Amino acid sequence: MPTQENNDDRIALLQGTLDLLILKTLILGPCHGQGVARSIQRQSEEVLFVDHGSLYLALQRLEDKKLIQAKWGTSENNRKARFYSLTAKGRAELTEKSSQWKRLTRAMDLILEPQGEDA
Amino acid sequence: MFKRKRSAEDFAEEIKAHLALEADDLRAEGQSEEEAQRRARVEFGNAALAKEKFRLRGRWQALDKFAGNLRFGIRSLLKSPGFALTAILTVALGVGANTAVFSVMNAVLLKSLPVADPQTLVNFRTSDAPRNTGTVDTNETMSYPVYDALRKQTGAISSLIAFVPLSNSKVAVRVGSQAEEAEGDMVSGTFFSGLGVDLPLGRGFTSEDEANHAPLVVLSYNYWTRRFARNPGILGQTFYVNSVPMTIIGISAPGFEGLEGGGSTDFWIPLQNRRELNAWGNPVEEGKLYITNPTWWCLRLIGRLPPGVNRTQAIAQLQPVFQSAARIGLGKPEQGEKPPILSFADAKNFPDQMYSNPLHILMAMVGLVLLIAFANVAMLLAARNAARQREFSVRQALGAGRGELFSQLLTESLLLVTAGGLLAWAFAVMAARLLANWAQIESSLAPDRTVLLFTMGVLVVAAVLFGLAPMRVALAGRAELALKTSAATSNADAGKSRTGRIIVALQMAMCVVLLVGAGLLIRTLSNLENTPLGMRIDGLVVFGVRPDIPSVPAGIAFYQNLMGKLRILPGVESVTIMEERIGSWWSDNSAMTVDGRLPEVTNGGSLTVRSNVAGPDFFTTLGVPILAGRDFADTDTAKTPRVGIINEEFAKRFLPNVNPLGHNIGSSDGRFTMSIVGVVKNHKYRSIDEAPIPMAWWMYAQIPVIGEMHVEMRVKGAPLAILPTAQKVVQQLDPNLPLIKPMTQRAQYDTTISSQIMFARLAEFFGLLAVVLVATGLYGTLSYRVNRRTAEIGVRMAMGAGRGQVVWMILRDSLRLTAIGVVAGVPLAMFIGRALTSSLYGVEPLDALTYALAIAGVTVVALVASAAPASRAASVNPLKALRTE
Repeated sequence: MPTQENNDDRIALLQGTLDLLILKTLILGPCHGQGVARSIQRQSEEVLFVDHGSLYLALQRLEDKKLIQAKWGTSENNRKARFYSLTAKGRAELTEKSSQWKRLTRAMDLILEPQGEDA
Repeated sequence: MFKRKRSAEDFAEEIKAHLALEADDLRAEGQSEEEAQRRARVEFGNAALAKEKFRLRGRWQALDKFAGNLRFGIRSLLKSPGFALTAILTVALGVGANTAVFSVMNAVLLKSLPVADPQTLVNFRTSDAPRNTGTVDTNETMSYPVYDALRKQTGAISSLIAFVPLSNSKVAVRVGSQAEEAEGDMVSGTFFSGLGVDLPLGRGFTSEDEANHAPLVVLSYNYWTRRFARNPGILGQTFYVNSVPMTIIGISAPGFEGLEGGGSTDFWIPLQNRRELNAWGNPVEEGKLYITNPTWWCLRLIGRLPPGVNRTQAIAQLQPVFQSAARIGLGKPEQGEKPPILSFADAKNFPDQMYSNPLHILMAMVGLVLLIAFANVAMLLAARNAARQREFSVRQALGAGRGELFSQLLTESLLLVTAGGLLAWAFAVMAARLLANWAQIESSLAPDRTVLLFTMGVLVVAAVLFGLAPMRVALAGRAELALKTSAATSNADAGKSRTGRIIVALQMAMCVVLLVGAGLLIRTLSNLENTPLGMRIDGLVVFGVRPDIPSVPAGIAFYQNLMGKLRILPGVESVTIMEERIGSWWSDNSAMTVDGRLPEVTNGGSLTVRSNVAGPDFFTTLGVPILAGRDFADTDTAKTPRVGIINEEFAKRFLPNVNPLGHNIGSSDGRFTMSIVGVVKNHKYRSIDEAPIPMAWWMYAQIPVIGEMHVEMRVKGAPLAILPTAQKVVQQLDPNLPLIKPMTQRAQYDTTISSQIMFARLAEFFGLLAVVLVATGLYGTLSYRVNRRTAEIGVRMAMGAGRGQVVWMILRDSLRLTAIGVVAGVPLAMFIGRALTSSLYGVEPLDALTYALAIAGVTVVALVASAAPASRAASVNPLKALRTE
């Protein structure tokens, strides 16, 4: 992103992973978009960076797929915000997608780790 | 749950909220107010882009998908151009034929009158007009006194419109020096204002124009376009109608061509009161015009009901007025005579029903063609897509949803239908013009919105049908099938081929129906064409003249003079004149007295005699044999005793077993009588298909009325070649006179069977089209089946089946389908034949020969269509066929 500062070792998200991260964040309870972004950044120890524009489109996509639902409410510091929460379908999706992800990372590890040992 | 789609505003609102929250957090982390807001915006990135993406979300997807489908569809159609071309042409022919027939039907039967609020207009009708009156149509025309009495009523009718043609064909008109002919009506002052027809140029008529019989003309938009190239300078110019100068004051709205279906009025003038412009071009009768003659019921009346008045109320008010006006000038009713009863009929559509029956049957025929065509394309598509079953299976295995497969098939069928539809439209515009020419329909046939909607409707049905038909097959190939390659296993689906066979059998049935229909109509036409007219028709040419006749002697002198000048032209054998042109549907019909009283006819037979007024050498010129007595001669004049001629049928019915010569016959009231001097052989008077009827002829020089006459000439060589010379002769006598409808007498008789000619030709064409379509359909289905059964045939041959057996196997298949089709088609054809009865001549609706030929026809079609696939099957090499397994 041209607007991003260069002195930054954050990693842009892999395609398709953003949805999973959003779902994971929302399992803790309803949250607004900005909160989701902050939460992802904080939990990944500031390694993962979320493009906010993409985030809102992703939220919309999840909403269209009925994985999450949204309603307008008030934040703790009294600002109007749109709060998202998981649906039952979203929960199921999260379970499935995170197990898929774990299998994938395990497979990646299996390939990457032994290689490192051989070297 | 029905949730409204999220709006873009709501999305923008959310982004704003985000920026505020982010700024709050940054401030809490110790940034300055300004820096916090800037950082929040920077962190967000391109907000506008996000909003744009939100807006386009979904739409892009659909559009992208459609474009993809479209590209894919075009590519896959281009890969099989033969298939694409066949399908597109079939759609074009089927839909085009339907559009053409429908647009004629729409123009003639369905279209509303192009006037304001047509549903509040009513046609005035009467039960039979009083006795001793003359009518144009017994139930539809009224006398001037009736019109005059009715229009003085207020309340029941807001405006009463009267109109009457100036002639039963065309009248002489002139702008500048060239005399020509045009169709014109005399109308009441309420005509344009009452109907609500606009005048884009100039003005319409007023009640004063009617009261003053003002010499004014309004031209129809069509005539203005055709004749004057829409020159606005024509307003104010002089327009001569039957030599009477009139001023052009207006042009009527485009699309308005008068109130008669199938016709087109060129101009209108206010109701006139002078002998040159009598109603229907009739000569003055005993000094009386239509306005002053209460026995001449010739005006058509249309009224507009005011708001809040229904028909019953209006009739209740008008009935007594109508019934007393009907007796004006007629004296006391005869004993037992019932008063005429006024009634209303819808004026919403054109009143003409002449084309109704033919057009409905034609529509049914093209409907059948359409069914056959659509079935063909559907089968083609199904066969083609069955061959693509592996492709579909693979795509399903790769995760394509049923919806996606369907939308792709739909796109392909949409492509076919669009291409076919465009071609069909071009084809239809041409065909409709041709059709109108044949049927001699003069109203404009430009396809309008109704026709467009009709065509679109048909095409949409086609698109969905063509999309759905192959879907069954496509879905039948489940994902697991993808990897199976055996022709034997993947083709074991008996169900779909059963559907195909049912469709072919149905097509055969429809083909039988069309062939029977076509056969009956073609035999009708050949019967009509070979019907003897009872005269030597070749070498006869006919034209009308309508001179200005100040008195009866002057009229006789004019025609004597004209005939004298024409007779001496080189190449002319003989010349005569007649009042009603023979072979034009017109005739004078009435009862006649025989020896002073109406003849008594047993068994309630008709008293009607068709009479005509003829000139000297009439039967000699026509070539009608004279059985007894003599022809009319120049020596029969107003000063010699009145003479008449009758036909055989007259003698047989009214003067049986006596020598008719010397007996007196006369008009039904007995005022005019004549002595029979000749009996001629029966021949056709009004039309080719008429049955023999009593006929009688008056000598033109001996009766007190004379007007427009038709000149009949027998010439050597090409009959029409004499016309320019004849025209010169006529114009020497009067430069205002055009030749009215000049043509050969044969062409004139042919106009009486024009609808049969058109019918037969179209039926022939549609029958042929059906045959071709059914043949291609059957060929397609069979060769597809043979292809798929190659392996089976190979096995059979390997097991010792001979070529003949294999060929027979294929032929048996199609013959069985033919048999089913015939069994289903014959009862349907009998039904159609019954509906056709009124259009047949000299052939029974159950004509055995026609049925036999139709059945033989479909059998031949079946055999020809099977020949190629059968021979391909016979040449299957068993080794090769089995090796491909």
